[in-house]
Amino acid sequence: MIAAVFAGLALLLAAAFASWVLRRRPSADAVFLTLALLGCATLGIAALSVLVAGETSAFVMRAATPGGRWVFAVDRLSAVFLLAIAMIGASAAAFGTPYIAPQRSHRPMWFAHSALAMLIAALALVVTAQSIIPFLCAWEIMAIGSYLLIVTEDEEPTVRRAGLIYIVATHAGTLALFAMFASWSVYATDWSFGALAAAAPSLPNQGAMVLGLALIGFGLKAGLVPFHFWLPPAHAAAPAHVSALLSGVVIKIGIYGMFRVVSLLGGPPPLWWGWTVLLLGAVSGVLGVLWALTQHDIKRLLAYHSVENIGIILMGLGVGSLGMRYGDVALTLIGYTGALLHTVNHALFKSLLFLGAGIVNHATGTRNLERLGGLARRLPFTWLAFFVGATAIVGLPPLNGFVSEWLVYQGLFRAAHSGELLRLAVLGVPALALIGALALACFAKVAGVVFLGSPRSASARDAHEADRSLLVPMAALAGMCVLLGVVPTLGVDPAMAAAASVAPAVAAAMPDPLAVARNATWVGAMAIALLVLLAMAFALRRRMLRQREVRAAETWSCGFAGASPRMQYTSSSFAAPLVSTFGRVSGVVEHRAAGTYHSHALDLVLDRLALPAWEHVHRAALRLRPIQQGRLYVYLLYVMVALLVLLAYLALA
Amino acid sequence: MGSLTEFLLFLIVLSDFAVLGTSRLSSCIRAVALQGLLLGLLPLVIDESLTPHAVGLAAGTVAVKAIVLPSFLRWAIREAAVRREVEPLVGYTASLALGVGALAVAFAVANVLPVRSSEAELLIPAALVTVMIGLIVLVTRAKALLQVVGYLMLENGIYLFGLTQARRVPFLVEAGVLLDVFVGVFIMGIVVFHINREFDSISADRLTELRE
Amino acid sequence: MTASLSATVQSLLSALGALGVLFVFAPLVPGVARKTRAILTGRRGPPVWQLYADLWKLARKGAVYSVTTTWIFRLTPLVTLAATLLASAVIPLDGKRALLSFSGDAVAFAGFLALARYFMVLGAMDTGSSFEGMGASRDVTFASLVEPGLFVAFVALSVASGGLSLSNMLGADLWLRWSVVAPTIVLLAGSVFLLMLAECARVPVDDPTTHLELTMIHEVMVLDSSGPDLALLLYSQALKLSLFAAILIDLVLPRSSLPAWGAMALLGAGLTAVGVAVGIVESTMARLRLPKVPLFIASGAALGLFGLILLMR
Repeated sequence: MIAAVFAGLALLLAAAFASWVLRRRPSADAVFLTLALLGCATLGIAALSVLVAGETSAFVMRAATPGGRWVFAVDRLSAVFLLAIAMIGASAAAFGTPYIAPQRSHRPMWFAHSALAMLIAALALVVTAQSIIPFLCAWEIMAIGSYLLIVTEDEEPTVRRAGLIYIVATHAGTLALFAMFASWSVYATDWSFGALAAAAPSLPNQGAMVLGLALIGFGLKAGLVPFHFWLPPAHAAAPAHVSALLSGVVIKIGIYGMFRVVSLLGGPPPLWWGWTVLLLGAVSGVLGVLWALTQHDIKRLLAYHSVENIGIILMGLGVGSLGMRYGDVALTLIGYTGALLHTVNHALFKSLLFLGAGIVNHATGTRNLERLGGLARRLPFTWLAFFVGATAIVGLPPLNGFVSEWLVYQGLFRAAHSGELLRLAVLGVPALALIGALALACFAKVAGVVFLGSPRSASARDAHEADRSLLVPMAALAGMCVLLGVVPTLGVDPAMAAAASVAPAVAAAMPDPLAVARNATWVGAMAIALLVLLAMAFALRRRMLRQREVRAAETWSCGFAGASPRMQYTSSSFAAPLVSTFGRVSGVVEHRAAGTYHSHALDLVLDRLALPAWEHVHRAALRLRPIQQGRLYVYLLYVMVALLVLLAYLALA
Repeated sequence: MGSLTEFLLFLIVLSDFAVLGTSRLSSCIRAVALQGLLLGLLPLVIDESLTPHAVGLAAGTVAVKAIVLPSFLRWAIREAAVRREVEPLVGYTASLALGVGALAVAFAVANVLPVRSSEAELLIPAALVTVMIGLIVLVTRAKALLQVVGYLMLENGIYLFGLTQARRVPFLVEAGVLLDVFVGVFIMGIVVFHINREFDSISADRLTELRE
Repeated sequence: MTASLSATVQSLLSALGALGVLFVFAPLVPGVARKTRAILTGRRGPPVWQLYADLWKLARKGAVYSVTTTWIFRLTPLVTLAATLLASAVIPLDGKRALLSFSGDAVAFAGFLALARYFMVLGAMDTGSSFEGMGASRDVTFASLVEPGLFVAFVALSVASGGLSLSNMLGADLWLRWSVVAPTIVLLAGSVFLLMLAECARVPVDDPTTHLELTMIHEVMVLDSSGPDLALLLYSQALKLSLFAAILIDLVLPRSSLPAWGAMALLGAGLTAVGVAVGIVESTMARLRLPKVPLFIASGAALGLFGLILLMR
């Protein structure tokens, strides 16, 4: 099946190339879109066949490549992520092409298209590369491609700043990955992942160095607290379909990396790692959703929700690896399955939400929650799709988010029954419950303030529904959310097989690996029962109202006649009780004066930690400025001095 | 007998939490008085034979911890006309969370401590958590009166510890009760009145003004 | 084979019977609470079956829909009812086994209640009324604190009983270990009672009889609902209260060894007792100021945590 992957990559590259060649032709968009969709479909078929049939095939590049053999392969773990890349990539391409088409007059369209195709191809390469050099190459193409797409609207200073923060963060992560692979490959015979896996037992301290660096390097990409600071500005700055791709799959590559490292190490990860991942997951989840509540910008809000969901995924990964260490077979499998399934689910509903936010932005010209409202009547189809996404991300039955959160919950519940220290992991349960309830509050806020009620501004009042070409990708994503929620085994079974491939030794010891899947059938049954009950309740009400008068009237405003849309509860007022309950942690700065109120949300890590630290570095760097003379002979002098120092060091040592 | 002891200890821990979670001073005092009463009953329950020693100890403890000191505190409230803690340094919900954390730590520590109580499994953890919650109240509340309450809880915790050693060192516990009397009077007399007279306020925050 | 089959059928029948008892008597619980409150405050009060009369009257009325509302508002009562009905299917109402039982069904219970709340909140926001927005905001605030507390109780029950499904957590397994877990059960009963008051909008968190919109939480969210819609919402609310009451009954009354009719009689008696208890609280306590409510809910959660720590030491 690796051949199909290469065919998909070739199609994507062809799409990138075609959009440049045909850049002056009117057919450019259609050709690009066709090729890109075909490419994604081919990738998706490759992934599906691996997930269904389970065969993994590898391709070894025979030419003399730098860094030893270059191996490419799709195994079950890769296939889960490859499938997400294919689905989200296709939706992003299908949505993005008509979405940015109106900007053709003042922006080179081919560039955005090519970069998107390259990014999807790079993502697919990252998850299929099984050697260090191609992995890191693909990783860098992915990082640069994301950067180019984030700064699409580079005339805005905020966009340039977001791009700068992103590029610094991603390269810090890459540096950690270089260090990780370097410290690992010392023990390996060559630089393929197979050799790294073989070398895993000889790593000192059970691979503590490797795991720590992986947590930093991949954590920066995944955006877990405190490494999330690049994520909200970058997602807010990028065009909607790029945000969808970033949040749906690019940050998931960090999760992929962690799973890959755990799987290559083979044995159970050390205790400290499992606890750290679980703790970071809980912290990212709670803080992510709390900070999301305080946002005024719909895309920043969604970006913070990505932090939250990465937290939930990490809780699954953490409890799974703890289970592996403590020898709890079921726990390992359930934790990993929950994490992998939530990765795919989050990719689906978060891209859906970002696409919806893009349409809202497009239709009203603003992303500010306080200026929206009443869009449900004006954008009915967008609203329906967004509503499905919002319900799914909150983790409510009968949608897919519930299934994966249910799995993570089960892992944590099972931890409680352990006789060992593992039972402390059960404290993750209230954390997860808090995350879920706050997410409900947040999406009730978004849906209520943006789509329900009356419009709060003229631009919201005059909004019009988007073109059908934009709605089709959203409908597809929403359909997937419903399908995976109503028939949970469709997602649980392949995810569990993939989880078993991460910990093969553990999975073999599991007496009945299908028990969890059977329980998932119950969840599906309840979802269907809900739909049946709804239909019955609908019929009941219809019967009750048959002979009665049904009237329309103004909203009851307690006897007050002059109610106006400006009196509606706003986004800030909706979140106010929660913000005050959590106090300073929520990072809201309020400015009150007679008759006015203004609040804005700080990112506590970026504004209180990273930027002040950068100021110190900057000031220290200024002291070094005299070194820069701008004269060639001075630099030559430096080179010579450095050489002499090195020689002296060698001589003495 | 064992389960009754456990039950009393259980109520003592609950009264700790009651002090942590209430803002009204009179409720706090009521909780601490209840705690004193429970503490007084404990020696009766632990010592299966009702020795005069145990009865005396119980009577003394109840008199001091459940009647004298609380009424003293109530009187101080009336005198100083304070009803509630206005601004705790750490919020109530947060201090409840701290208390639950302290409880977990207490149970963890009790497992590794070399001290074992033959009478009740819960005794050491209850003693530890009472001491810790007393400290939390002492540190996080600004009102001098609540600090007295915190101090009393600290004392109660130490008294509980003393109970584990009651058979071996019988006078330790009596000494504790006496210490109570002394310290209670000391604190009430000196701290409350001193602060009140000098600064027209019994907020210990104002003590920092002494630095100048 | 036939013996096990007939046992399955019997347990199914018993679960269905208990479900029927709950569905029929649910509107009685708020009625009992209101009557208790009236008697304790020296009034006669409405009869305990007042809510049945209200529901009957509402069911035969027409409906008025605000022009601001969309299909969400129309869907809200239906989803609220369907989700609450489904949530009651996983609670072992006869003290033995629920209609549906699978590992992790506690999460489904919380999930379906959350779904009902999600729609209630959206329905309130759909009207564009500032009062209903305010109620919605307060509701999600308090619910986000109740939810962790509820899950602490579930975890503690899971540890206490060694089971992973609600039927095991609240059924016979719990009572087999009674001598070990008694203090925890007492604490959990306290915790669930406090959380119930918060979740079901009773005093001291919310007052179901208040007449001032500014102070309402749950009542204000249904201001624009009328006729059959309001009937469905009121019934769901009563059903939710009875569900929490049923959990309490499972906690404090062992019924697993009783015959089906005995278990159902105890369920009825328990529901009445919880109604009386709620009424006593309502007549002796004042409503808390809103900023104090988080502390109240946190105290409930702290009780549960205390119970959990007692178990896990």
